[in-house]
Amino acid sequence: MEFTTQDKGRYTEVAASGRLNMVAAPKLREVINDVVAAGGKRIVVNLAETSFMDSSGLGALIGCLKLARQSGGDLRIAAVQPQVTMVLELTSMHRVLTPHGTPDEAFPND
Amino acid sequence: MTDILARRTLEEPAVEQAIEDLHGVLDQLWHDAAFVPAMDQMAFSTAVIEAASNVVRHGVAAQGSELLLGVELTVASGYLRAVISEIGAAPLDPVPDLEGPDLTALPDDALLEDYDESGRGLSMIRALVTTVTVERQGDSNVWVLSRDAGEGH
Repeated sequence: MEFTTQDKGRYTEVAASGRLNMVAAPKLREVINDVVAAGGKRIVVNLAETSFMDSSGLGALIGCLKLARQSGGDLRIAAVQPQVTMVLELTSMHRVLTPHGTPDEAFPND
Repeated sequence: MTDILARRTLEEPAVEQAIEDLHGVLDQLWHDAAFVPAMDQMAFSTAVIEAASNVVRHGVAAQGSELLLGVELTVASGYLRAVISEIGAAPLDPVPDLEGPDLTALPDDALLEDYDESGRGLSMIRALVTTVTVERQGDSNVWVLSRDAGEGH
């Protein structure tokens, strides 16, 4: 899995491409840690190119969300594909990780 | 006699690379069995990866053995089946609780800190397949996952 971090002004986008499984989950945590350590408050994980997520990947997203909130920010997810939607709904995690259509919609202009 | 429509197998050391390879084997299976509905493919693949990841993460080699992951995937008329073996493993102790916690047990207004970061694998497997069993066979712990799929389901 490849991660690409980009400063979008209103938020930092982390695009995740590939399979978010037990191999990729620790890497996601590192990437989000780095964004938070660099002062990033609003983070969008763009899942448009994430074809698969398992419970390790979901656990990493929850850990990253907690980290972002603890540092006074927030983490949102966008462009979720069908398999990821299935896992979020199966585990009821869509309650705390609500999917947004696009990264821009995750943090609208305020 | 059961009609086997497609079959793929994998056997290699139970390390992270085996999970990446298993994704490839699943892709090959669905290439061979493209008639299986997308929802069934997605649910079954997710359960298989969860079970195999469980072996890689928690499997313990028996003394003097190398721990191997064995996977046999079968598409038959009416169902999908995965036999996932921890080969050369110590017996499971404790035997996993296949009843597991209820995924929807948290109330609607649960706070973020109420959500754990791990421990969802087994409940996910149970929700994604029709039956799941685990038993000791020789030097292996063997998981069998079966999902009703295709015509009539």
